[in-house]
Amino acid sequence: MPRKPRFKWAALPVLAVLIASLTGCSSQEISRGFLPGVTGVTNHTERIVSLWTGSWIVLWAVGIIAWGLMFWAIIVYRRRKGDAEIPPQLRYNMPIETLFTIVPFVLVLGFFALTARDMGEIEKPVASDYRIEVIGKQWSWDFNYTNNNVFDSGIQYQEDGTEAELPTLYLPVNRTVEIDLISRDVIHSFWVIDFLYKKDVFPGRVNKMYMTPQVIGEYKGKCAELCGEFHSMMLFNVKVVSQADYDAHVSDLKEQGFTGQLTADPKDPNNFNRNNNLPGDNPEIKG
Amino acid sequence: MIIEAKKSKGRIVVDWLTTTDHKKIGYLYLITAFMYFMIAGVMALLIRAQLAMPGLTIIETKEQYNQLFTMHGTIMLLMFATPLFAGFANVLMPLQIGAPDVAFPRLNAIAYWFYFFGSFIAVAGFFTPQGAAGFGWFAYAPLSSTTFSPGLGGDLWVFGLALSGFGTIMGGVNFITTIITMRAPGMTMFRMPIFTWNTLVTSILVIMCFPPLAAALFALGADRKFGAHIFDPANGGPMLWQHLFWFFGHPEVYILALPFFGIVSEIFPVFSRKPVFGYRTLVYATIAIAALSMTVWAHHMYVTGSVLLPFFAFTTMLIAVPTGVKIFNWIGTMWRGSVTFETPMLWSLGFLTTFIFGGLTGVILASPALDFHLSDSYFVVAHFHYVVFGTVVFAMFAGFYFWWPKMTGKMLNERLGKIHFWMLFVGFHVTFLIQHWLGVIGMPRRYATYLEGDGFTWMNQVSTAGAALLGLSMLPFLWNVWITHRNGVKVEMNDPWGYGRSLEWATGSPVPRHNFTSIPRIRSESPAFDLNHPEFASPEAKPVAPKKEKVKA
Repeated sequence: MPRKPRFKWAALPVLAVLIASLTGCSSQEISRGFLPGVTGVTNHTERIVSLWTGSWIVLWAVGIIAWGLMFWAIIVYRRRKGDAEIPPQLRYNMPIETLFTIVPFVLVLGFFALTARDMGEIEKPVASDYRIEVIGKQWSWDFNYTNNNVFDSGIQYQEDGTEAELPTLYLPVNRTVEIDLISRDVIHSFWVIDFLYKKDVFPGRVNKMYMTPQVIGEYKGKCAELCGEFHSMMLFNVKVVSQADYDAHVSDLKEQGFTGQLTADPKDPNNFNRNNNLPGDNPEIKG
Repeated sequence: MIIEAKKSKGRIVVDWLTTTDHKKIGYLYLITAFMYFMIAGVMALLIRAQLAMPGLTIIETKEQYNQLFTMHGTIMLLMFATPLFAGFANVLMPLQIGAPDVAFPRLNAIAYWFYFFGSFIAVAGFFTPQGAAGFGWFAYAPLSSTTFSPGLGGDLWVFGLALSGFGTIMGGVNFITTIITMRAPGMTMFRMPIFTWNTLVTSILVIMCFPPLAAALFALGADRKFGAHIFDPANGGPMLWQHLFWFFGHPEVYILALPFFGIVSEIFPVFSRKPVFGYRTLVYATIAIAALSMTVWAHHMYVTGSVLLPFFAFTTMLIAVPTGVKIFNWIGTMWRGSVTFETPMLWSLGFLTTFIFGGLTGVILASPALDFHLSDSYFVVAHFHYVVFGTVVFAMFAGFYFWWPKMTGKMLNERLGKIHFWMLFVGFHVTFLIQHWLGVIGMPRRYATYLEGDGFTWMNQVSTAGAALLGLSMLPFLWNVWITHRNGVKVEMNDPWGYGRSLEWATGSPVPRHNFTSIPRIRSESPAFDLNHPEFASPEAKPVAPKKEKVKA
């Protein structure tokens, strides 16, 4: 009898490389599990990336076992000619059932422990070098640089506009920032995609997030909570810059007359309001 | 006296409008729900068309786009999937416990009509000048207030859903009472089919979580119509609404899932020619899922920054355990069986394949550290379509193909059924698998458009192409229903599949007016199987103890 061709485990990495090269994925993308951004965008992202990739490895193992058992069962136990009309009426098997209750339970405990460790770190309030207020409004963003007593007021993305015209939040690199999120109208959500983090922006209360941006660059931000008709136009940019560039931007804002702070109060006449939806309409914040 | 003569058309209409027969009410539910499935499906196709390229205006305004996805979600969850449960439960549950009807037939009828008119009212927003509700199906305050959503469509949405919700609650009460009080002699609780068990547990969930929804909707209605300020941000209203809504909203997901788990739990044994594996564990797993599902609502609110993350993360992850138990029990049912692949089995396997992946992404989302990035992105959209579409739609078609002979007396065409399955299966996965990546690289849900520079374009195009195939897959099904109606051969036997196990396979196809002319002895969870295959009946169901030593199973 000829030997059955045997599956070689060494084929697995070869297969993985083959799939990766055929689908055009770079090793950087794969090692980050397709998460956007580069290594160390903020002080939290690598923690998230490693939890993400580690979780997926375990979950793929579980998934492959489950799918594998399913396909194995339907292939091996498919009805063939000459089979007995009815197979033995097996009703239960205590050891197996105990096994597939306890093993997932243990996995869940492990996953919870890792999650609890990481989310604790991400959510922990820390002493910050800079405090910035982000005000969500239908359908753009205002930024108060509280340490410098200047502000920047954005308008929503225009159909014929460019991304460069979007409101841009400047953050100094390697400085810990506290971002206070407040809303002037409905719930928004402040999501800087490469930071792998978002938080809702609520009317009537202040949400806080803490992080240290570590890589100079420009990042896309989007509102992630449905906030009305132009939700998809409520875009912004984040520029992580050197301390010198940050200071230059602040003095630039000062020169343009954007001194003082905006508030979340919709009745405040200084505030850009979608009911007088014309940029530069308000003499106080004319550019 | 009822005479089986040919009735005039008017008679037939009056008969259906005034019926209190659980089967006819069930069919009304199934037909209405399926109609809404098609309507909301067309909305989904419009949504996918709009997203095929950046900057399209296939849907003229973004407000209309918001209305489309709002009503797509509302219809799919509350006018399609939930009443679909009521439909299957109405048709099957009394048959499975050997009852002549449900406990409260007239309550049953009024529950259906509440659903019918409530749903119509909510959808009728499309006929008002400002259009239907556009604040998302979870209607977050204060976007759902008259300040930000002044249209009449919002009011119709609130009060229509409240009315239809009462119908659902009445249905739940009816099913619980029927199962507790109307089981045939010998039908103990632990001999009930899994579908009936799941109907019972689902109905208990309904009466726990639909009343809070009704209360929340009336409060929102009071805000909108009478200026009540209940959900005013000045007194923390936005968070209050989210808690109330998700306290309903999460169990609702299991109200959708459990009955459809029940359907596949009926189908796997029949086409494996084996009893369901681990019957009791399956029942306990269902109860555990239902109990846990009441404790996880705030996992929809991780990014609000004001919920107790560890508690909700842990309970959410725990749900994976009983869910995994179910998956392995279904596989165990096929293990050492004699498996054939008729359409109901094919759909059930399609469900299992899809649902496993939805379960995996669910575990990822349960972790707040990962959910901070993924929340409100297309990853979530992909996840819940794998879970909800994977369960409800796949199991619905499994159930249709499986019980069509029981309901109509004719078998659907197998070949068309298989074409239907493969088109839908491929279409579904092409549409939704890629959306996981879209979410990961940063596409938020509910965006009417996106920028060219976002890099979302080709993935959206793949998704849209898949959606087109998914939509087309309805054609072979509708054609199948039509030709079966026209040319289908009457089955004229109790159990056309040959290995049916539960009690509905021990009565005629279609089922006679009061369900049973005689009821077989019920000595196990498979009375019909015991009746038709006495030599393989479970030990307690055998009339005489076997002389030979039993084959070890």
